[in-house]
Amino acid sequence: MSLDGNRSDLRLGGLGPAVVVVAAIVGIGAAIATLVIDGMACSATFWKSYLLAFMAASGIALGALFFVMLQHVTKAGWSVTVRRPAEAIAGNLQWLWVLFIPILILVWTGRGAILFEWCDLDYMHSDHVLSGKLGYLNATFWSIRSIVYLASWALLAAFYRRQSLAQDRDGDYRRTMTMQWWAPIGIIVYAITQTFASIDWVMALQPKWFSTMFGVYWFAVCCTGFYASIILLLIFLRSTGRGADVFTREHFHDLGKLLFAFGVVFWAYIGYSQYMLIWYANIPIETAWFAPRQLGPWTWVSWLLILGHFGLPFVLLVTRWTKRWRGTLGLIAAWMVLMFLVDVYWLVMPTVPEAALMHATSWDQLAQQAAQGTLPLGWNPSILNLTALVGALGLLVAGTFFFLGRAALSPTHDPRLSDAMAFENY
Amino acid sequence: MSTLPMDHNVDCLSDDPRQRAPLVLGHEQFDTVTSEILRCNEAKRPPLAWTICFVFSVALMTMLMALVGYLIVTGVGVWGNNNPVMWGFPIVNFVFWVGIGHAGTLISAILFLFRQKWRTSINRFAEAMTIFAVICAGLFPGIHIGRVWLAYWLFPIPNQMDMWPQFRSPLLWDVFAVGTYFTVSLLFWYVGLIPDLATMRDRATTKVKAIAYGFFSLGWRGSMRHWHRYERAYLLLAALATPLVLSVHSVVSFDFAVSQLPGWHTTIFPPYFVAGAIFSGFAMVLTLAIPARQMWGLENFITMRHLENMCKIVLLTGSMVGYAYGMEFFIAWYSGEIYESFAFINRAFGQYAWAYWIMVSCNVICPQLFWFKKIRRSPWTMFIITLFVNLGMWFERFVITVTSLANDFLPSSWGWFQPTWVDMLTFLGSFGLFMTLFLLFIRFLPILAISEIKGVMPQANPHAHDHHHDAEDHA
Repeated sequence: MSLDGNRSDLRLGGLGPAVVVVAAIVGIGAAIATLVIDGMACSATFWKSYLLAFMAASGIALGALFFVMLQHVTKAGWSVTVRRPAEAIAGNLQWLWVLFIPILILVWTGRGAILFEWCDLDYMHSDHVLSGKLGYLNATFWSIRSIVYLASWALLAAFYRRQSLAQDRDGDYRRTMTMQWWAPIGIIVYAITQTFASIDWVMALQPKWFSTMFGVYWFAVCCTGFYASIILLLIFLRSTGRGADVFTREHFHDLGKLLFAFGVVFWAYIGYSQYMLIWYANIPIETAWFAPRQLGPWTWVSWLLILGHFGLPFVLLVTRWTKRWRGTLGLIAAWMVLMFLVDVYWLVMPTVPEAALMHATSWDQLAQQAAQGTLPLGWNPSILNLTALVGALGLLVAGTFFFLGRAALSPTHDPRLSDAMAFENY
Repeated sequence: MSTLPMDHNVDCLSDDPRQRAPLVLGHEQFDTVTSEILRCNEAKRPPLAWTICFVFSVALMTMLMALVGYLIVTGVGVWGNNNPVMWGFPIVNFVFWVGIGHAGTLISAILFLFRQKWRTSINRFAEAMTIFAVICAGLFPGIHIGRVWLAYWLFPIPNQMDMWPQFRSPLLWDVFAVGTYFTVSLLFWYVGLIPDLATMRDRATTKVKAIAYGFFSLGWRGSMRHWHRYERAYLLLAALATPLVLSVHSVVSFDFAVSQLPGWHTTIFPPYFVAGAIFSGFAMVLTLAIPARQMWGLENFITMRHLENMCKIVLLTGSMVGYAYGMEFFIAWYSGEIYESFAFINRAFGQYAWAYWIMVSCNVICPQLFWFKKIRRSPWTMFIITLFVNLGMWFERFVITVTSLANDFLPSSWGWFQPTWVDMLTFLGSFGLFMTLFLLFIRFLPILAISEIKGVMPQANPHAHDHHHDAEDHA
């Protein structure tokens, strides 16, 4: 079967440019506001907010890229129709690299230490553990790696989007086979680049700390961001009267299950395992990363994650009807986008008070210092965090609607289209 | 057996995305499915190959029992375990067998939730394999505790001495994790068996069989109400079993990872152990399925497509294991911890380097052959590769357990582990236990899930092709 790609409810029509313009204005406006509020000083807070925003936006797009490739690896039928919106979200990886250029410039102009401590060579040479890492954490190698990650994501996202759009035009089922052929290779490239990107851009913020699980944790973060976002996107499209027969209740149910499985349970499993193993062994170099996250105001953020990213959505999503009714699913998905942002914030923002940790004689002493606010924990909520996030997410929305507007909202000639339109969750 | 109508006459290996490959070949009617699957159960005498295997397996099992008796009478000194390698073969074998079980749970629970219909041809014996593997696994910690007659102390049973197990020890968590796993797997397997047991009851030729199968089929009559409740229960059990796929081997990995020992303490252990468990489990499913399908003539149900799919899962999970090896190595260097770096360099180039390279070549390099379609479609090549994977995964547990214990922080307390003949024969004997149970299973219970297989045939979907409507009447 095939769909008529020109059906008005399968096209964004005038809505596309409208959303692009509004989202772009909001995004660029927020970005300018970030610069203005910062007084063009490019302060440490500015750069941390910038990285936070970049990681959040790229995390959602990466989750989408993985989702698209996964559907091809598994020859999935149910998801054919929702793949197009996912391709549009992943499509942002074709331009998101532009947002990384300022960070590259920062590192290359020698001011990188304001964001990444490893750029401070004096600091790195002051410690034999750190100086040993210079072979990996140095501007040249780090930049080459970053470029490789961004380039491979852009290529993969472009390839899958182009093939899919071309199939709409020529209806050639062999394109599905081409996409399937590349999908396992793409997933391997994805696994390696996403892992090392999370190590280089987030884990390396605290150059002494390490966790073999970190790449997997970041994968769970990307899944949360993506599944929550695509549910919101599809609900928005349905609310404008679009795609009633392609984005059915069954798709919402299935996406809700995936959000539950990966964004809630898998995320909690990985987070718990990482935390518990480090807590149990209690080795100072490892616990140092968790210490600030359990001190002062960060304690509440950590609790918010445990209860808000796991406890509450677990209870809400475990039943069937909440996933099948767009009203409840939309609220939960919106909450999960918020929790995803809190999680990225919690990963990027805190700083380890190394000197204080080294001299502390007891945990109570640290807690006391934290209560007095004399510990450098990186707790510095600023309007910049918010404006930067709004900026990057605004641009992500603009990009997504730009890509969505260029084609039908669902693949129209995919050979497995009928699977997606007929299946039911019993 | 009639031929298939033209529109279904597609190659089961076809990659054409316009059509889903058929999951069952050569059957147009449901009753031939039943009789073909039950052929081996209903034969008067088992095949000669079965009898030979059974005699051999029982002999091995008897040897296992004798060795366990010898161990209990003499003490754990009969093993190679020493100071510092306190954990030798028993823990290696325990982790190996628990891992083997995981494929069954993945197939029965996770692939079910993911609507992977091809699982119906392999889930029954993979689930059976899970249960038998967990029995073998449970044996080893049980006999490792020294005073076997006090094994019940592992459970938190209140007693007059007020002796409680150490709740902070992951070894105790293992008791709960493996106990839950065994219980849920058994329930899941049994619930799935009920309609098929009723089929066997209805077809029974002797009174004894009719009573025995009738007793266990719990009065199943196949009414709509029965089916409805059965499918609800099955779905719920699948949902309950899904976290078990992750939790059991995660808890097993905690045995190692909560310590401070270099090579054991690393955060990726839980998902890495889970991937490794599924990897070894699928390898074992293939190792058993390839000969079984040939001997029992089940090629119409376990088609080449099924084997190919399993190869792909072996490739996927093998690559995940490779990712974990790589990540451990990278972080050992990146961390700048000398003990951590030493542990890994020592694994690769130290006194156990041979074991390490067996592990890497069997687990990482070998499954990469499954990238080639030709190899994924040649059963006996697969069979050999999966044997290597089984070997490699045993060596993985050996490398983890022994190398880290033998060479820890203080060179003055380093040691060397050498298994004794009792160690080796006990491990060999556990295969006897496993195979005996497995052979009894394929003789007395349906090796494939008959009712589920019928459910994935096109005839089961009344709307698929109108001319198939009458086929259902033969169910």
